[in-house]
Amino acid sequence: MRFILLFLLLAGGYANAHQFTPTYPKLEMSHMVGVFKAEMVLFNTREDIRYYGLSVFDKDWKSVRFAAESKVVPMDYQERKYITIYISSKEVDKAKYICSKSKILLTVKEPSIVSSRICSKLK
Amino acid sequence: MKKLLLIPALAATASVAGASIPINGFIESKCVIQSDTAGMFGNPTVDKLSTKSADGGVMPIVRYDIVTASKYKAVITTPTDFSNSPTLSDSVDWTSTTVAGQMSDSEMSVFNTDKVIYNNGHTTEFDLVKAGSVWFNVTSEAEYGYGKAFPSGNYTALIVAECIAK
Repeated sequence: MRFILLFLLLAGGYANAHQFTPTYPKLEMSHMVGVFKAEMVLFNTREDIRYYGLSVFDKDWKSVRFAAESKVVPMDYQERKYITIYISSKEVDKAKYICSKSKILLTVKEPSIVSSRICSKLK
Repeated sequence: MKKLLLIPALAATASVAGASIPINGFIESKCVIQSDTAGMFGNPTVDKLSTKSADGGVMPIVRYDIVTASKYKAVITTPTDFSNSPTLSDSVDWTSTTVAGQMSDSEMSVFNTDKVIYNNGHTTEFDLVKAGSVWFNVTSEAEYGYGKAFPSGNYTALIVAECIAK
């Protein structure tokens, strides 16, 4: 019963949410030699957010070099985007977390704003 | 005549096809962060901005939806600076609290008992060991100088709500 309620709650849609999946992405070889890739899905239902920043970190939360089509992803309201993160074989052992963070425009003048960040873990 | 003979045959085929349509579902582990209530600073005294309702403010509320237990931790960091404000010539003293308020499962109260606070009280970490929805209530207070009046203008401060896979 509890599971059904939770499913209905989660399937019912989000009014103002940030979602980044999968929780544990897998790195696989890309079409380029020496470059690995991870496929991620970003979903934006935050009306106040139009951009998300991408980043990759090691286990100590130090930045790891990576490539993507764009490191700042423009997102419309209720838009879902499939994102490929590329990491070179030299960096692949260091990479531990892939994160997306909402970017708040300077023009937003609300008294307090929530910036959301979701990090998936490479296993 | 031929048409009439075809009807039962078509009906039988349709019922077979209808019975064999599968409905598949898959729920993947995920954490969803929702900005439930945008906060608002109240200004109870000239030197103070506060999101507490007793101070005329509105408490920001962040909702987390957790599909699978024990896959994520929530990290909420309250402001230690204004992201937008008039020029301030004196220091601002920030205090804050973050607690799990409303929750879809009473067993989620363990989030509060096991929470870890660091960064001078500005960062609170919750181990999301139960699945469901939880609403985190955040209070934030800023006091300016020693009883100094905040200059008039717009003040914006940022709460960072994170979900980190374990």
